Amino acid sequence: MVSVGTVVWLASELMFFAALFAMYFTLRAASPEMWATETAKLNVPFALINTIILVSSSFSCQLGVFRAEDLKPRRTGGLFNLKEWGMVEWFVLTVILGSIFVSVQAYEYTELVAHGIAMNSNAYGSVFYMTTGFHGLHVAGGLIAFMLIIGRALIARKFGHFEATGAIVVSYYWHFVDVVWIALFAIIYFLK
Amino acid sequence: MKVESWIFLGGLFFFTPTAIVYGYMTNWEEPVGMLALFMLAAMTLMVGWYLLHTSRRVGPRPEDRVDGEIHENAGAVGLFAPWSWWPLILSTGAAVGFLGLAVGFWVLYIGAGLTVIALVGWVYEFSRGNHAH
Repeated sequence: MVSVGTVVWLASELMFFAALFAMYFTLRAASPEMWATETAKLNVPFALINTIILVSSSFSCQLGVFRAEDLKPRRTGGLFNLKEWGMVEWFVLTVILGSIFVSVQAYEYTELVAHGIAMNSNAYGSVFYMTTGFHGLHVAGGLIAFMLIIGRALIARKFGHFEATGAIVVSYYWHFVDVVWIALFAIIYFLK
Repeated sequence: MKVESWIFLGGLFFFTPTAIVYGYMTNWEEPVGMLALFMLAAMTLMVGWYLLHTSRRVGPRPEDRVDGEIHENAGAVGLFAPWSWWPLILSTGAAVGFLGLAVGFWVLYIGAGLTVIALVGWVYEFSRGNHAH
């Protein structure tokens, strides 16, 4: 029941991002020459590496969910014995990868501001920071959710379906945010 | 759950042609409406596919069968808080935060602090104290 509610909410989140995509395409259609000069300043290989980091975090998150479904919160082997990792270890890895993504994006912002693209500089700056910024806020929110779920798993003496359900719905959210980023990345960095 | 799935998936068959007609009528030059309609199709697909996927997993429920009995649905439905103050505190935190945006930025910090307390309180409500398990 929690998971159905989460999916319905995520569907409404999709419409939130639809508004952002629509904004991007409207302004792009209105001033194509601005897009030509401003998108040339983007660092595509850098963003591609960041995208790979975010996508890999989705895989580590899913492996954590499989462990949660097995009701296995903690690792039973050594730290580097990945097969015996529990949900907590996979989720910690996911949080680390997600944090790298947000940090690299913040660094990318500083680079772009140095190249003269700021939120208040022109229409391109506005849509670039609005779309990627709202996505970044979603990622940051997801990281907080992961940490709350990790905390739940750590304080539970008996890891049951209550904890597993929370982990599963947070993974739905994370995959959604990941897919939205792939769409954003394709539009902003490839379609331009 | 087939009926629920197809109620949502039906949107796919309405919004996709609508988006194509809209795009054709505007010579594919007006991206906002077209994009919104295509993403509406994606939205209905998302919920519909999830329900279809869940229906495959759980099999026919009593309410899906003509010979279903009410007592077959007895048992635990989910975990619900019989009473909880945390939603009230969380909404107060959000309200104070928005008040801060409107009247003075310093109020926002109070709202943010209250929100953190309420969020942690709500998430851990059934994991600590008398409910520790």
